[in-house]
Amino acid sequence: MDKNKIIRYLAPFAIVGIIIIFILNVITHGSIQHPGKSTYQSRCAQCHGDNGEGIKALTPPLFQADLPVQHFDSLPCWIKFGMNHSIKVNGIDYDQPMYPNEVDEIQTANVINFMCQEFFNYDTTVNSIWVKQKWKDCE
Amino acid sequence: MRITNLLLLSPLLLIFSCNPDKLPVYGTKTISPATGDSIDYTLPTFAYVDQDSNLVSEATTQNKIFVTEFFFTSCPSICPKMQAQMLRVYEKYKSNSDVIILAFTIDPQRDSVGKLKSYEKKLGIESSKWHLLTGDKDSIYTLAESFLVSAAEDADAPGGHVHSGNFILADKQRRLRGYYDGTKEESVQKLLDELDLLLKEK
Repeated sequence: MDKNKIIRYLAPFAIVGIIIIFILNVITHGSIQHPGKSTYQSRCAQCHGDNGEGIKALTPPLFQADLPVQHFDSLPCWIKFGMNHSIKVNGIDYDQPMYPNEVDEIQTANVINFMCQEFFNYDTTVNSIWVKQKWKDCE
Repeated sequence: MRITNLLLLSPLLLIFSCNPDKLPVYGTKTISPATGDSIDYTLPTFAYVDQDSNLVSEATTQNKIFVTEFFFTSCPSICPKMQAQMLRVYEKYKSNSDVIILAFTIDPQRDSVGKLKSYEKKLGIESSKWHLLTGDKDSIYTLAESFLVSAAEDADAPGGHVHSGNFILADKQRRLRGYYDGTKEESVQKLLDELDLLLKEK
């Protein structure tokens, strides 16, 4: 048997193997984790809550929040540089400062996409180039 | 009984010999010069004002179990998470008059009574249950030491202060009975469980 025949013979097994590993992975991990989820959990969840619920009137919620969608282009700046002014989210005033985060453009894009999907119900996807553009205009 | 059987039993004996219903007492014991008895470490007396300008002292804690934290309102790092967890303690014992929460600011220059009052409103808490306390800075730092936790100014730290994120459990005799990481949900669950144990203690 020549080399090509061996490859042709083994290829279906390899494909089936990859599919099995994929299915097992989904079963053991529940689902494929969004790439922005780990950044959210390590950077954002301690103030905004694991499910984006916020903390009373101390930190605003992200889940079903109106402000992030209304000021979508400001999100990269807020995430990286924090915020020092008061804001209104879903009709409630918040004036605790938001602190800056050491994040790169890829983490920022991923976490915005994660929040769009999980919290904002906003059908948009951003990428790192967009994030970098927005960072140029931060005040 | 053969000696090997006894050896197998020994871990069991060890488990039963220490009382699992009793929480430890922290701090160095002293010996009473008069009676020679060992005396448990108790917290010193203190006096600070809360968000309603009311004086809160060791008398306020009389016959109360109290949970203590050190925080500051402009704290950007661990405090929001700590407050989210302390709210769990607050909600659970809201209607239990045997339990109160003491939160001392370690940034009293900025955290005036007015600032603490507005912080109270943001948390949606009642001042008689959860006292937000301010006073002399050095005295608060010394108090933190007496709780066997740390608090200090540090220009490099976020917000300019470093402090432990501990919740400290103290009993009705002002003895230190437990330390919990106020930023971790499972650690605060342990606090809630152990506080229940302490409430049953005679």
